[in-house]
Amino acid sequence: MVVCVLYPRFELLAALGDRGALLSEPAALAPEAGGVQVVGEVSAPAEAFGVVRGMRLGEAMSRCPALRLVPPDPEGVRSLWNEVLDRLEGIGAEVESDRAGAAYFEAGGLQRIHGGDLAGVLAAARRALGAGARFGAAPSRFSAHAAALKARPRRRGRASGGHSASPGGVSTSLGGVSTPPGAVVVDGAAVRRFLAPLPVSLLRIRLELQALPEVLEQLGIRTLGELAALPSRAVAERFGHPGLLALDLTQGRDTPLDPRRPPEPVTERLELPEAASGQQLERALELLVARVLARRERRGRSLRAIAVSARFVAGGTWRTTATLRRASADAARIRLALAPKLAELPAPAESLTVEVEAFGPPAQDQGRLLDEAAAIRQAKLGEAVRQARQAAGAEAALRVLDVDPDSRIPERRAVLAPFPDASAP
Amino acid sequence: MNPSRRLGDPKPTSVMAGTGGAPRMIAGASVDSIREEWVVEDRWWTGKPLRRRYFEVVLVDGRNMVVFRDLVGGGWFLQRA
Repeated sequence: MVVCVLYPRFELLAALGDRGALLSEPAALAPEAGGVQVVGEVSAPAEAFGVVRGMRLGEAMSRCPALRLVPPDPEGVRSLWNEVLDRLEGIGAEVESDRAGAAYFEAGGLQRIHGGDLAGVLAAARRALGAGARFGAAPSRFSAHAAALKARPRRRGRASGGHSASPGGVSTSLGGVSTPPGAVVVDGAAVRRFLAPLPVSLLRIRLELQALPEVLEQLGIRTLGELAALPSRAVAERFGHPGLLALDLTQGRDTPLDPRRPPEPVTERLELPEAASGQQLERALELLVARVLARRERRGRSLRAIAVSARFVAGGTWRTTATLRRASADAARIRLALAPKLAELPAPAESLTVEVEAFGPPAQDQGRLLDEAAAIRQAKLGEAVRQARQAAGAEAALRVLDVDPDSRIPERRAVLAPFPDASAP
Repeated sequence: MNPSRRLGDPKPTSVMAGTGGAPRMIAGASVDSIREEWVVEDRWWTGKPLRRRYFEVVLVDGRNMVVFRDLVGGGWFLQRA
């Protein structure tokens, strides 16, 4: 059985922080800085005005003039969601999650650890996450998600008292669908019957099927059951692979889960003394890249994907990822790939962060056609720096880096940065 | 690496100021002359504004120093000796 953990409106909740009370008012995530001018997740009162995620900002405001726009906080969302995933992994789950707010894991391997049955696994997950999460369990990812959407959220007060959100606090079962506290569990035999009355718009859960529901509705196919009744040949002919995938989903089949790999957080952050932009930002980036390359956790590996994020002076955050065409540990090459991203920053930043998202193979020196004296000297120097760091830590070899040489505040002019490592591919 | 590893971070120092606020003694050493004096104001648009009154001085033993008085939080700091 696949378990789905669902937090509706997670991104909005994370961006609101301690202003959670705004959820009871018409509110929506403002468009991402520099992105398409559409609103993000919306609160229930905003939905009542007909505002939905992905709607053009102008249309949303005209439908609901009192709509409050909340600056998006991708960094906050990511950090909060990683905490949720860490907690699930804490009970032994191998978690898959491609977006904040929904996570999936196989319950099969965990049942013996947590009481021998699915209820024990659900209870352990609920204990790990606390109140607020909805749980669904079904034979596939898609059906588990649909089940979680049907689950009633547990109230905080009730959860702490050990009572159930379901009537009477006991699990009820009807035709293969049971509703233990705060969850909906769908048996394999009942999954098609469970999915059949649900609207085809549910297929939008899958990123690759975003456009399909609209076409299906235009053709008069409104429920998953109606789609499931179509012959697969006809679906394949009309919709191709997306159609066949949708057909599989309606019949309770899905692709296997792809759990995330344990993260290896290598992050460097720099508080910018004043609202920085332009050359100061590039200097800050240079410093951060040097620091990341000097981290022990890198263990000589090259970098494949790097994220740059910023927190704005006026609140809110920004994050972008650069995947290098060729994994590299060369500071200059990495800077060259990241520097253009800084131009996308829509507002002055008060802090800049560089994080390694994926490592590549170990960085190795390539054989040189010509043995140039300078290159040999550079290699010797690099080796000396490496040995010094090995013996005395990352701060063993430093250099002075001019961050903002013209600043009126002396301590902002220069910082100590790691000495550049030996050149690497 | 310590993220606040900046060069030239100000260090608190003891200063006896004369009338007008100019330093007369720094860390027990008398000030011979004040070479320059200026005020820096920054980040006034944020919740943590910065206001400093700088003095570049020469001590009686010949040392050249830059000290400032923090006009927001108070206190004297040595920026460069």
